[in-house]
Amino acid sequence: MGFRLQRLGLVHANGLRALAGVTLAARRGERIAVIGPSGAGKTTLLRLLGTAVRPSEGRVEVLESNPWQLSGGALRRLRTRIGTVHQAPPLPARQRVITAVLAGRLGTWPWWKSLLSLAYPADIAGACAQLARLDLADRLFDRCDRLSGGQLQRVGIARVLYQQPELILADEPVSAMDPALADLAIQQLIAEATGRGVTLIASLHAVDLALRWFPRIVGLRAGEVAFDLPPVRITDALLRDLYASESATLPTQGGEPLRLPQPGAEVAVRRPACQ
Amino acid sequence: MQNDEAKALQLCFSCVITLVIAAAVVIASFAYLPLGPGRLFSREAGGEMLEFFLSFFPPDLSAGHVRKTAWAAVETLAVSAVGTLLAAVGGLLLCLPASGRYGWAPRALARGLLNLLRSVPELVWAALMVLAAGLGPFAGVLALGLHTTGVLGRLFAEALENTPKEPAAALLGVGASPALAFVYGTLPGVAPQLLAYTLYRWEMNIRMAAILGFVGAGGLGQMLYYELSLFHQAQAATVIGAMLLLSVAVDAASAVARRGLARAYA
Repeated sequence: MGFRLQRLGLVHANGLRALAGVTLAARRGERIAVIGPSGAGKTTLLRLLGTAVRPSEGRVEVLESNPWQLSGGALRRLRTRIGTVHQAPPLPARQRVITAVLAGRLGTWPWWKSLLSLAYPADIAGACAQLARLDLADRLFDRCDRLSGGQLQRVGIARVLYQQPELILADEPVSAMDPALADLAIQQLIAEATGRGVTLIASLHAVDLALRWFPRIVGLRAGEVAFDLPPVRITDALLRDLYASESATLPTQGGEPLRLPQPGAEVAVRRPACQ
Repeated sequence: MQNDEAKALQLCFSCVITLVIAAAVVIASFAYLPLGPGRLFSREAGGEMLEFFLSFFPPDLSAGHVRKTAWAAVETLAVSAVGTLLAAVGGLLLCLPASGRYGWAPRALARGLLNLLRSVPELVWAALMVLAAGLGPFAGVLALGLHTTGVLGRLFAEALENTPKEPAAALLGVGASPALAFVYGTLPGVAPQLLAYTLYRWEMNIRMAAILGFVGAGGLGQMLYYELSLFHQAQAATVIGAMLLLSVAVDAASAVARRGLARAYA
């Protein structure tokens, strides 16, 4: 099992309700895209799954355990099995790309290895291999503040790929990339999911990207699940209804008009060479 | 309009009052101390000053005394280095609770302790430490360490509070221990600031260590106090010269270090 949410609700400390009555489950290895207008609760949903926030009501079960009944140590072990791709990757400006990628395994490495790795990177080949999948191997030793927003997002994805989690939560992982790179990055996440049986749930702003790559689409509106369907059953009317509050046109990559479902293409893990 | 004029008049009134009070304080001070302005600026006083000044020359440059002075200078440098290092470690430990990472109670407690350490001047700490640990450089180290811990802890805590929390939070999210999340997520953002603060305080502490000896805490200061109490002006002049040299050398070294740091962190 990937995760199971039952009648989940969350009210922020300021009294705003982010989620209400969300029931959603994913089997191991499933790939789910979450779409919906801004403020629909996509990020909150992922933060709940990542055990970063506690639900106000309902039940969360992630990777066969209820995170809020675990001891501190067990919760930390659970978190090593969950990888989160953040929309704005929280990487220290002065950190080198390789250190940022290797930090994905801080939860599993012994502490002395993590500290030694600051002096001399413990796994250059491993970090380089994951960056190469995202066409970023040449920036291995650059500092993070030398990278653009899209490149930083790819570093964030490389960190999660290097972490090798069993559940990947991606919060608008490609929002700062151009369409070609966005496709590449999503492909690599999908390949990771199909290749290693990782459960993948990604919130996406571009509807076409979601429909192209994901076999299951969850529409979220005002904190509630509006629909939960395979792409072939998603109609123009459903989407217009979902985004009714936001704008007349549907959000897509580069603002291209949406063409409805085409069968997902074959994807494979890229293994370009590292020097 | 009228209101503005009234305000301007009021302002001027307060200037006059301030001036009158300042003048009264100066006159009262001269009256209170057995020291007339006439005597201070008289020809006789000028002659005495010159005589006193000349009594320091020529400085004692005999090999034995210069060697003694050089060792005292090294001792001063060592006292400042060890004191600053201890303070950096202490500041780093105390800045964690003081930045509010463990809730408001430890924050208030740590801030209170830092305030206490900082508000007692180095010389007072030195006098206390001479009583506690005996005469010598160790008392100087403790005095500098205690006061500077208060200063650095406060500065470090503020640096920590102003650095983004997201990188460390993200690392806790991958199951890293809080200590490692701090080292990987928070430290890269604040390390240059911590280093710059520490070097700056070290620079100040070298000057301070030269003076601490006056209350018996070793180094050049203790030597100067000793020579002066015996009216060995020539020997004292050598020590004062060494203090000046040390000060100039520290300024030059810190300028070089600053340039190097600026390059490394550009």
